[in-house]
Amino acid sequence: MKDYIDSGALEVFVMGCATDEEVQELMYMKAKYPEVNEALKQLEIDMEKMAQNAAIMPPPGTWNKIEDEINDLILREERQNKPVQFRTSDNGYNGQPKAPAADQYIEVEGASSHMRLHKAWRYVFAAIFVLGKIFLGFAIYFYLENRQAQEQLKELKTEVKELRR
Amino acid sequence: MNTQWQTSDSMSQSKLLAVSTLYNNYAAKLFGYIFEVVKNQSVAEQYLVAVFNDVPNEIDDFLKTGVNALCRLQMMARKKLSQFFETLDNETDRQAWQNIQPSVNNKYVAMMDPLQRQVFYAVHYQCKTTVQVATELSRSNEEIRRILKECFTIIRNGRDNERLHR
Repeated sequence: MKDYIDSGALEVFVMGCATDEEVQELMYMKAKYPEVNEALKQLEIDMEKMAQNAAIMPPPGTWNKIEDEINDLILREERQNKPVQFRTSDNGYNGQPKAPAADQYIEVEGASSHMRLHKAWRYVFAAIFVLGKIFLGFAIYFYLENRQAQEQLKELKTEVKELRR
Repeated sequence: MNTQWQTSDSMSQSKLLAVSTLYNNYAAKLFGYIFEVVKNQSVAEQYLVAVFNDVPNEIDDFLKTGVNALCRLQMMARKKLSQFFETLDNETDRQAWQNIQPSVNNKYVAMMDPLQRQVFYAVHYQCKTTVQVATELSRSNEEIRRILKECFTIIRNGRDNERLHR
């Protein structure tokens, strides 16, 4: 056991460059011999001291970047893990009246370029089409009437001029 | 169903809290370590963010009894930093970076002799294995491990002296 501690295996582990086999061996030795565990703890304290001596405060705002990123990851995970709910009745779960979930949202912009409408809208569109035709008919009728009236007015003016002479 | 969501929500919050605690306790130490490797504040910050972003995925490892959080974080940083060495484009860049003299700002490193410093620096900051260092220095792996052990003895004596002088 002393030979193992003296071999430098603990130092290599603490510095993070031990192979998988060395890590396995160390876990076994650590569990079996309290001295190995104690030696390892001392080395970890040494590493902490070493790190403390070289510590530099990270730039302000670094934690915000980490927090934002983690929150994004959590949200993404939750969306992926959330099961699809099928509606079985007009009431909610256990017959309770439905209440909108706080985190439910409506997709405003769909991926499809097509639009789906309720069938009742066809009567509205038909009515708009028929009314459009009627207004067009009226427009043409009044245009022709107006043109005819203008021509008659012109003729009357000509007649009045001739009578004055 | 709602209870499940609430449970997952509170788990997420507890994960975030755990990461925040780790950040408060170890960010400066880890940033100092990463900065010593990459020698650039902005790059070091990016690595620090990347390491802490991975913590929620490995939070169970941190919660195991007997796990030293700083050592675990340093191991995660080492894995990420191995990519840094891959980004050094050509052999000239790599050589130039390797020729940077070990920092003696660290009082423990300053107490080491040049060979000890070289070995410690190569393993700790250049993320090399003892086998790689042994090959580079034409020495045996056992010899490199013995030198590493000497380095830790120096650090231990340094911290013991500090305790005595308090």
